[in-house]
Amino acid sequence: MQSKWDIGEPEKPTINSETEQLKSDLLTLNMGPQHPATHGVLRLEIWTDSEIVAHAIPHLGYLHRCMEKHAENLDYRGVIPFVDRLDYLAAMNMEWTYVAAVEKMLGTEVPRRAELIRILVAELNRIASHMMAFGTYAIDLGAFTPFLYAFDEREKILRLFEEVSGARLLYNYIWIGGVWNDWTDEQLERVANFCDVMEEEIKKYNELVSMNKIFIERTANVGVVSIEDCFAYGATGPILRGSGMKWDLRKNMPYGLYSEFDFDIPVGSSEVAGQAGDCWNRYMVRMNEVNESVKIIRQVIQKMEPGPVMGKVSKIIKLPKGEVYVRHECPRGELGVHLISDGGKTPYRLKVKSPCFTHVSMLPHIAPGQMIADLVATVGSIDIVLGEVDR
Amino acid sequence: MSTNHHQTGSVKDYFADLFSGISTTVIGMWITFKYVWAVKPVSIEYPEVREVLPERARMRLFNDVQNCISCTQCAMACPVDCIYIASEKRPEGEEIKKTSNGQPIRLKLTQFTIDTALCCYCGLCTVVCPTECLTHSHDYEFSQYTIDTMKYDYLAPDVIAWRDRIVKS
Repeated sequence: MQSKWDIGEPEKPTINSETEQLKSDLLTLNMGPQHPATHGVLRLEIWTDSEIVAHAIPHLGYLHRCMEKHAENLDYRGVIPFVDRLDYLAAMNMEWTYVAAVEKMLGTEVPRRAELIRILVAELNRIASHMMAFGTYAIDLGAFTPFLYAFDEREKILRLFEEVSGARLLYNYIWIGGVWNDWTDEQLERVANFCDVMEEEIKKYNELVSMNKIFIERTANVGVVSIEDCFAYGATGPILRGSGMKWDLRKNMPYGLYSEFDFDIPVGSSEVAGQAGDCWNRYMVRMNEVNESVKIIRQVIQKMEPGPVMGKVSKIIKLPKGEVYVRHECPRGELGVHLISDGGKTPYRLKVKSPCFTHVSMLPHIAPGQMIADLVATVGSIDIVLGEVDR
Repeated sequence: MSTNHHQTGSVKDYFADLFSGISTTVIGMWITFKYVWAVKPVSIEYPEVREVLPERARMRLFNDVQNCISCTQCAMACPVDCIYIASEKRPEGEEIKKTSNGQPIRLKLTQFTIDTALCCYCGLCTVVCPTECLTHSHDYEFSQYTIDTMKYDYLAPDVIAWRDRIVKS
């Protein structure tokens, strides 16, 4: 008996009568590994029938760095630079997930100021990551200018991060027990000013790109992922929310101090354009999430209180025997860290459940029947980072 | 599965589509056009103008060997093992020097090499350094033709000469 989630063999694309006369064998095309639309080194093997995609097979592993195995030979502090390099566009979120897993096993108390700073940097990094997604998505669809505007805003965030942590992308800022450096009042004021600018910018981006007729025609009703498919593949993050499911770990299973904050979960719908689960709605969820992040950042700055930023952690960290699984809401979905310890100085096993890997595995299901140009729009709208897919 | 066909049945729909296409494009073009005079350029013309790096910026590592006590804590903290340290016992009767913060230098440092090509600039080594002699400098222009030349021996006289340029106090 066929189960509910079994999608079976990919269907042959429907071909209209005109192309029926030209029908021949399927043509194999390689999209990537060096292709601007694949956002890294993803290779998509596409079998095309004229302009229509019949199969799309993702080939992974071009950025595999063996991070999980390598972590087994490092002390718990030394793993942090490596988890940075998973999703290099949202390294703060990656660090926080790993550090939360270690802290949960260690039972460390994190000072309140450090917890607030963690939320601040995670949300700022979420904005930076979504700006990158927005800019490159516009490039995929043929608009170059929004990319430059988005990078201008992203640059302000990276500059702040460079001042507090010393690096622009791979921060090593969130440490076991707290954060490395404290934020000054002047920097927090700049973040508050940045929030005002960002809200105006988002309005501008919506006018420039989101509501543009050409953009809507390119993305609305393209690459539709139904909510059942999302459950079947285990999609999370903007993909799941874009399909209409109101699920956000920050709200549904709050970690850190997120339960104290007031924000909404944007979901996709067919109200403005397209239908729930299409490229436009996935894109729009990200744009609305930036607004929600700005809301959270404002509340963080209000709640900020003086205090230490580093808790008490022994110099050599030894975790008790056992295992822990921690998942956090990262810009691209739920990142899970499964950490097993045998009581030594190094992790016995570190398994990372990457949201991007899940989303890439959905491509063979979404792609058949699309035009090649729509496939580019679909790949862009699921917003993958290959560092996280391959690890 | 996802073919997108706009059902434009009537003439009215056709012109409504046309109008929204033109109007939204004009709005977008107006936003871009404002950048011609209303927004100042944000980019820096790099080789001529250089950005001032923040205080904590993590660039090339520098070890002030006069203050190094060869404790090898940096080499142990390094996640990529790019620091090579060797030291030997001082011969009998030799005067034991002290670092600038008063710690005695008991061992004689014979090698302190960092493979900059391997370094991941995480900053973990600078945090554990007890005498704060290993620091991240603000040098970021050090490209080389061969990868061997990325290994810096901090006991070499030409590298020690950086000290005047890098160490502030």
